[in-house]
Amino acid sequence: MKFEDETQNLKARMVIIHGLVIAILAVLGVRLYYLQVVNGDYYAERAENQRIRRLRIPAPRGAIFDRNGKLLVDSRSTYNIILSREDMKGRDWNALVEPLAEGLGVSPDILREHFDEASRQPAFEEVTVKEGAGAADLAWVDAHTLEYPMLLVREQPQRRYPDNGVLAHVLGYVGEISPEQLKQPKYKDYTENPYHPGDIIGQEGLEATYDRYLRGQDGYREVEVDSRGRIQRELADVPPQPGQDLVTTIDLDIQLAAEEQLKNSPTKRGVIVVMNPQNGEILAMASYPTFDPNLFSQRISTPEGRKEANALLRDPLTPLFNRAIRGRYPPGSTWKPLMATAGLQQGAITLKNSHLVCGGGITIGNKFTRCMGSHGAPDLRTAIRVSCDAYFYRLGLKMGLDGIEKMVDEFDLNKKTGVDLPHELVSWTPSREFKARFNPRDPEWRDIDTVYASFGQVYDFVTPLASLRAHSAIANGGRLYVPHLLLEARPVAEVGPFPARPRRVFDQTEPKIINIPEDQHHLVVDGMWAVVNEAGTGTAARINGFDIAGKTGTAQVVGLGKDTGKNKDHSWFVSYAPAFNPEISMIALIENVGFGGKFAAPAVHNVYEAYLAKAHPELADHSAETAKNNPAAQGSRSNPSANGPAH
Amino acid sequence: MLTLLAVAISSFGTWMIFNAQPDAPFWKKQIIGIAISLALMLAVSFTDYRKLVHIAPAFYIFGLALLVVVLIPHVGLKINGQRCWIGVPGLGQFQPSEFMKIPTVLMLARYFGRPRSTALTIKEIVVGCGILALPVGLIMLEPDAGQSLTYFPLLAVVLFLSSVRMWLVIAALVLGTASVPGMWYVGKHTGLIKPYQQERINVILDPENADRRGFGYHTWQSIVTVGKGGIKGSAAKGDASQSALKFLPEPHTDFIFAVTAENTGFVGCVLLLLAYAVLLTKLIHGARRAPDRTGMLVIMAIVGGLAFQIFINVGMALGMLPVIGVPLPLMSAGISAILSTFVAIGFAVSIRLRRFVN
Repeated sequence: MKFEDETQNLKARMVIIHGLVIAILAVLGVRLYYLQVVNGDYYAERAENQRIRRLRIPAPRGAIFDRNGKLLVDSRSTYNIILSREDMKGRDWNALVEPLAEGLGVSPDILREHFDEASRQPAFEEVTVKEGAGAADLAWVDAHTLEYPMLLVREQPQRRYPDNGVLAHVLGYVGEISPEQLKQPKYKDYTENPYHPGDIIGQEGLEATYDRYLRGQDGYREVEVDSRGRIQRELADVPPQPGQDLVTTIDLDIQLAAEEQLKNSPTKRGVIVVMNPQNGEILAMASYPTFDPNLFSQRISTPEGRKEANALLRDPLTPLFNRAIRGRYPPGSTWKPLMATAGLQQGAITLKNSHLVCGGGITIGNKFTRCMGSHGAPDLRTAIRVSCDAYFYRLGLKMGLDGIEKMVDEFDLNKKTGVDLPHELVSWTPSREFKARFNPRDPEWRDIDTVYASFGQVYDFVTPLASLRAHSAIANGGRLYVPHLLLEARPVAEVGPFPARPRRVFDQTEPKIINIPEDQHHLVVDGMWAVVNEAGTGTAARINGFDIAGKTGTAQVVGLGKDTGKNKDHSWFVSYAPAFNPEISMIALIENVGFGGKFAAPAVHNVYEAYLAKAHPELADHSAETAKNNPAAQGSRSNPSANGPAH
Repeated sequence: MLTLLAVAISSFGTWMIFNAQPDAPFWKKQIIGIAISLALMLAVSFTDYRKLVHIAPAFYIFGLALLVVVLIPHVGLKINGQRCWIGVPGLGQFQPSEFMKIPTVLMLARYFGRPRSTALTIKEIVVGCGILALPVGLIMLEPDAGQSLTYFPLLAVVLFLSSVRMWLVIAALVLGTASVPGMWYVGKHTGLIKPYQQERINVILDPENADRRGFGYHTWQSIVTVGKGGIKGSAAKGDASQSALKFLPEPHTDFIFAVTAENTGFVGCVLLLLAYAVLLTKLIHGARRAPDRTGMLVIMAIVGGLAFQIFINVGMALGMLPVIGVPLPLMSAGISAILSTFVAIGFAVSIRLRRFVN
């Protein structure tokens, strides 16, 4: 100190200040060390996260075609006009109703309803003003951005399914992946093209089975944004790779014809499946009633859509249900060709002597089970042609339950067909266990049970597809193919980081071979041919020049005598053609209408017409004439049906 | 030496201003500001500080007049709700509250600079408070709480070195510390501390869970920016900086330290803090060798003011203190601030030079 002033420890006080200054700087340094050295990486990441945004570019989903290249399903961009709630804060909703209703052509009542609903929904849910907005609507929104800044246009790729529920059960539908699904190994462990929350995936039908083919690889744009979210520059641009297009085995014309038949049936409920018996390709699979898959792909996000979906789920007529693979029906007399084939195979009857007594019925213990007619002692061909129940009672008794079970196993009726659709059910077939479960009060298997099981009632419940598959094996001489709907998944070229995806076809394994000697095969087919072409039960299906072989069936829904009204029997017809060189097989089931020959057979006839028009036009012309004669022909044959319960 | 250090820090600061806002003219203005400041500083250095202290009341009254003028609408420019700028044609704007620190320091030094042998009297304390109260009161009217806060350490240092009784110092410290939680509680429940002010404090106590998009935004972004710098800084990495993307608000003024931290990392920041330490230490050494009590008080008051501003500003950038608009000496863009800091250092140089002349 130059000036002499040592009082009050001036020197010490200056040292204190100096110390304080250094201490303050040291504290700052320590804090700096903590932020930058200890936690630097953490904050660098935080900075990165707020700086870089990854904008997903959704990949277009593959389209679905029929076997002739007709488009069945595609994705198209649709536009929804929505209200941003952010911009609605403090604004009067009601004041918007009139101008929006007028400008966008929506009903003011519906708008009011939407707004009402919106007030009860969580804030993040968007308020839809108009779905599927057209060019004029978009222009209107654009022109009024200043007045109505809360209006936003949202592009939405939407899956478009055919109208009127055509092919709905086969195609299925897409929907947002659920949190539960995300946890399933099927989705969780698929690393090749990982599933993310919010992804739209196939939920039903082919959309679900072949989701991995149909789904593309999403691309993305990586951008740097500023604090207001404005894009500053693009860091990466990875284009999406579209999904693979699917070509199905379906022939749309035949499908439409099949659906037409069901739609025009008295109950409008039933199944028609058309297949190529030589390779298992399914040409048509119709299940009625049907539903509109567009509901799930487009409207499910709206309150009305949800209401509609719930109504579908609760509908007692089960329109969502694919009857072809999930419907289990007593096969009735369509069971007989299988019994006949197995009976010959197992030696219960022989080619030389296939006669069994009809006798108008059979007495087991003190119970008489009657036949629908009195057929004397027919041979197998006749028994099939006239659908003699008593013949098959006795055949069943000769084969025994073991023989029937062996048949079931041979024809894979106790297994899934392996069709490439989700949720297929296994048929129920006769066995001691099944009876014990079915009838716990009398669990013992008795001869009368064998009788029932041998003509397709009580213990037999088959899915139409399993039945068609078994009959197709009879048709082709013993080859059980896996029915399928995939013809090919078309290849997709390499895009950016995503490798090319090769063409895929259905993985058809070697067919299961059932050893049916040629002469036995010939006899059964001949019997079935006679059903249609020789005063049998199925002449309503007959087409001149095209040898259809078939078998009618009438499935009891309830006990005898009560088969009226909504408890009427199911009407079956299973067939293939040409009889000795089959190229097409077909099964039809019409629910609760009655006799098989009267409803299912004519339906099948008309679907064959549609097939012939394409495959054999020269026959189609010809058969058009027989179609005209059909009602008359039908009338003359309706008499036998009045006599008995089961055909 | 002092001059060199000051020029070095302010040049470094200009580089950071450039980093913060390369497209804005702030860094060019800063260079001009430094040049003017340097000239003025040299002028002050070669003037006898005692003459200036002698006419300090004139400066003081002139400064007060400016603080009044700034409050007049249309003369004082209103920016961000604060009327603390005076527009000067051709030069831009200046902030009287920055300059007013110098006359205040001179006045305090003049009043307390007489040789003393006894402890401070109550009267002396009251007069000291009065000298401070006039400018602080006017600045509060602007209102600019941050700037007025920076006046208190000037008085505190002067009183401390003017033999205020130690028990008073300790009592003030204890009372001040103890009253903080009490004031917080009372303020929160009476509404005197507004929700946004509470939020600014919450974000310091718990940045992860505070409202980082609202009033905690500044602090959180500053912490992230500082942390992101890491050890060596990200200037070389070529990443777009927090300030370029406008995540960091006021990067060239209040948050210039965060920009420094992002660009030069821990190394650069520690060097800067060391430079401040050397600068302040040099000033304190100068004070010790001052030819008289007045000179000593001038330098020490300047030291107190600078240290306080550094602490408030850097503490805020590091998320230790709530957001208070106080510039970082020699670093933040702003001609007024740079000018007043350089002039202050000019005084210190002048005082050091006098010891030889004396």
